Amino acid sequence: MKKKTLEFLEAQQSETPSAWREEAEWRRDNWSWMRHSQKIAVKVLLQMKREGLTQKVLAERMNCTQQYVSKILKGKENMSLDTLSRLEDALDISLILDEQVSYPTMAAEEVLA
Amino acid sequence: MTFDKILDNDTLWAVRNDNAADNALQMLFEQWSDPEWLVDFFLANMTDLESYFKITDINQAIYDTIDDNHRIQCLILDLSPEADLDKIFRPLENGRTSEMLLGKEKAKIKDRPQHASWLRIYAIKLEPGCYIITGGAIKLTRTMQEREHTLKELNKMEQVRNYLISNQTIDADGFVDFMSELQ
Repeated sequence: MKKKTLEFLEAQQSETPSAWREEAEWRRDNWSWMRHSQKIAVKVLLQMKREGLTQKVLAERMNCTQQYVSKILKGKENMSLDTLSRLEDALDISLILDEQVSYPTMAAEEVLA
Repeated sequence: MTFDKILDNDTLWAVRNDNAADNALQMLFEQWSDPEWLVDFFLANMTDLESYFKITDINQAIYDTIDDNHRIQCLILDLSPEADLDKIFRPLENGRTSEMLLGKEKAKIKDRPQHASWLRIYAIKLEPGCYIITGGAIKLTRTMQEREHTLKELNKMEQVRNYLISNQTIDADGFVDFMSELQ
């Protein structure tokens, strides 16, 4: 890069450091569960919009704090099965996929062998 | 307006606007991974999604956005010092073939299955291989002028460009050097 341009940019650098790399690395490192958390948050948010539900009402239905609901909706909460079940009950929707695992048909003697 | 160095080799920077918590790149990554922001955005822009992409499932549109954001994040995190940024950023105007001083550029994911990616990162090209990210958008229409949120990004690029020019970041000699490097 041209010296003049670089000197200008360095002189105009922000006073506080950016968190971009640290946060992007955190999201990448936690991607395997976070993508599920984000997608669940989307389903919950859409259902809340459909029903006209506030975070406060959802928190009451789940018997938890509004702050916790807010964390869930940010898609950064590694939720337990208990939390997922309470969300499902509170909203009357399915969040835990109920897909069957296909398994080849086998004779009883093969399975037991 | 201040600037944050994104890559240690000085080739990629991002604008941090006055009173903003962080720079334009970090703000994009945050927005594009925030379910609340995404639900509000797509609910407000469903008509464009249906008209231009023929997608009617808002859930799928948001999941695709989250996945594409993850890919862009990984791509930028993994950029090596030798990476050629000219292969990532392209002129904003599809028809532009000649170089311009502090040109407006865009980056997007290629080879996405099912549909083209609607995520865009916008930047100003300082010189070959060197860019300043000004912002980005979920672009669902053919042109940026058609919607307020993309028009805003055009204006941001123009503002940063004018700021760099008014501060004589690149002078006439610099432009001559810039052009000669391209030849």
